[in-house]
Formats: sequence, structure tokens, C-alpha cells
Amino acid sequence: MNVDTAEIDALVGDGPAAWDAAGRIPVELLRRLGKMGVLCAEVPARFGGPGADSLANGELTAHVGALCSSLRSIMTVQGIAAATVRRFGDREQRRRYLGQLTDGGLACVAFSEPGAGSDLSGMATRIRPAADDTGDLLVSGEKMWITGAAYADVLVVFGLHEDAGSAAMVPADAPGVRIEPVQDPLGCRAATHCRVVLDDVRIPATAVLGGGRQPLPLLFTTALSYGRMSVAWGCTGILRACLAAATADARTREQGGAPIAEHQLVARHLAELYTSERIATQVCGHAAEQWDRGAPDAAVAAVLAKQVAATHAARGAATAVQVLASRGFTDGHVVARAYRDAKAMELIEGSTEISQLILARHALDVL
Amino acid sequence: MTAVQGGTDGATVEKELTAFLAEQTGTEPTADQDLFATGVISSMFALQLVVHLEDEYDIEIVGPELSMDNFRSVRTMSALVLRLQDADTGSRDE
Repeated sequence: MNVDTAEIDALVGDGPAAWDAAGRIPVELLRRLGKMGVLCAEVPARFGGPGADSLANGELTAHVGALCSSLRSIMTVQGIAAATVRRFGDREQRRRYLGQLTDGGLACVAFSEPGAGSDLSGMATRIRPAADDTGDLLVSGEKMWITGAAYADVLVVFGLHEDAGSAAMVPADAPGVRIEPVQDPLGCRAATHCRVVLDDVRIPATAVLGGGRQPLPLLFTTALSYGRMSVAWGCTGILRACLAAATADARTREQGGAPIAEHQLVARHLAELYTSERIATQVCGHAAEQWDRGAPDAAVAAVLAKQVAATHAARGAATAVQVLASRGFTDGHVVARAYRDAKAMELIEGSTEISQLILARHALDVL
Repeated sequence: MTAVQGGTDGATVEKELTAFLAEQTGTEPTADQDLFATGVISSMFALQLVVHLEDEYDIEIVGPELSMDNFRSVRTMSALVLRLQDADTGSRDE
């Protein structure tokens, strides 16, 4: 993989605090990172991507996640879009859409609905033939909490299609598409979280991946598994940023005539943060290896990685805020952002509770 | 369970698939049973099944081949496997 993390660091600079406050990342930066292949690094070189394997993309995701979880969230949705196109798109669609996604084009993925959050089987969005002889299709429905929709050129919309499901590539500027960002979200503020209304949006048949009508569980699991891997690595990045901030602070700040790291109760916080970072790294690394090997339990390994990394990140971020105290107590600070962003990671791509249900089912079925 | 190289036939694939589904889901489906309508294939298992077919029969299942019609039953999946083994089309990322 040919992605220069020093170049990413230079481009991101000290932007994340201001992006968090404004609720926006400069879109030119997203397009620039998209052209570098950073946003969906597993796209093979022949489509214009860096061709990273799951492990290399994971480390890249953690690197960005340590800088800014909002930016990492944009990576996550762009990567889900690319993984969905790669698996379900036909030859022409793969060439066309993967080319766009590695050339500055931005995508988001529209799953959740007001009546279908954790239970995606409650999905009401419909994809149906237009009532004329054009062969076009109409997409109708309402999507909620769609990450990155405010920046997207194209929305990957999941919907019911006859007795199965389909993923439709809907241009954000198509007539009938309305995108409304949610105001003042708790975490990942600059990623944007949007309500998307699709009112009989007309698309050509060539915009439905693979002709459509795939098994809904297969569509969901393919897309969500990539998302879970990406979120898990992002959480590992959050832990790395928190560990770095906490150790730097504890080494230099003095109380009672000694650096606070010398106080045993503070040292324990550092030990716990370090332990969390190591656990998250190991569980993500294991899951990435399962994906790279094409192992049958890769989807479950992704759920495990997400669940473990997100819960450790939420706890670790709280620990880091505890160590830094007043020095990390303003909104843009890396540990303050981590505290809010990590909490969001316990809710998305399968909440902690839904992840636990999947893991329990796996244990009951297989072990 | 190993695919018979060069001599795979429909009956063999159907038998292997039925055994795999029985082992993984605890339900032994009939050859024509609608696996999605009857809830045999769960979300987590759907992707595992595709990866299993690709690995076991040295095929790649992408794009239009992932249509519901190909995965509806043991019989339709077996037909898909045989067709992809014979054909040189549908290979990933080309």
C-alpha cells in the first residue's frame, strides 16, 4: 500500500478541534484524501486504489482515528460504499464507481430508517420499476442518521426490491433527494449525521448494483462487516490518542512535588489505558487476519473486534479525561472529543447490546 | 468435506451443501426449500455461506451472481456452483 501517513498528518494539522466546533470538515480536504486513496484503501490498484489488505487498511484507519474520529467516520462510509460496489457491482459498475471513489468522489451509505435501526428487517425503503418503458427504477423512503451525507456525491441506498434487497447508487443531486443534517450531535460532529428523504427518485437500471434483488441478509452483512472493522480500528486509534495524551500529561504535570504519574492511582489509569490499547489492537489484528484469509468466521470476528474496541475506547476515553482533568476539559481537546466520539462508537454499526446478542448466538451455535 | 476435483456433479454438490447447512444451522433443508423464507439463513451466516462456496469450490461469486434466485435453495446454489466452475466469467475485480 502506497499511502503516506506523514502527508495525511500534514493535511489534517490542527484542524480537528475547529472541525468539531464547526461540525464540518473542509470538503476539499476530503476530496484530496479521496484522491490519495486514503478513504477506501482496500480498492485494488487496477481501479485506482492503494490495494491495501484488511490489516494495512486497519492500521491506516487507526492512524486517522487517532487524529479525528469525524474524518475516520468519512473513511468508514466511503469504505463501506467501495466494499459494497466491489462485491455486488457488475464489471462496468465496479470500474465506474470504484474509479469515482478513488478520484475525489465522496459516498455515504443509507441503511438506518426511523423504524429500522438495529432491526434492519423493518426497512421500508422501496426500489421498484418506473411505470413506463424506460427500464428506470424509483427509490422511495426515509433514511436517518446517515453519516457523511452532507458531503456525499452519491448515496448507496439499501432498500427492498421485490422479494429481496438491492443497493442503489443514487446521485445526491438527483431530483427527489433531500438531505438534512441533524443539529448538534453528541459525537463525531464533523462527520455529519443526516436525515435523507427519497421521494420517487428516478435512477437508471445501471445504477442498481449487480442488477439488484440480492438476499437482504447478504447485503447487510457485507456492508456492515466492513463498517465494523473500520469502527473497531478507529476505536483503537482513539485509545492510542488517549494513551499518548494521558502519558504526556502525567509525565510533565506536577502535583505535590512530583509528576502525577508518580501517584499510584494515576499510574493505574495509565496501565488500564495501555492495556485497553493493546487489547483493541490484538482483537482488530485477529479480525483483519481472518478477513485476509477469507476465514468463515470473519463476520463474527468483525463483530467481536467492534464490540471489544468500542467498549474499551469509551472506557479509555473517560479514563484519559480523568487523568488530564481541567487540561482536557474543553470541547475541541483530543480527549474531550474522544470521550464523546467513543460513546457514539458503542451505538453504531450494531450497538454494544446487539453485538453481544450476535456473539451469544455464535457461542450457542458453534461452541 | 472436499469438492471432487474435475468430477463435481449436481447430486454431489447438493449433498455437500445440505450437510454443510445442517452442520452450521442445525436444520437439514430439502433441496427445494426456500432457505430465506424459512429463516434457515441468518444475517451472519449469509456472508459465511458465500465465502464457504467460493473457498470450497474454487469459484468467485460477485455482482449479478449474488442474485436471490441463485441462493434461494440448495438446488439453485448447486446449479450456481456448477455453472461458475464451468464458466470463466464472473471473476472478481476484472
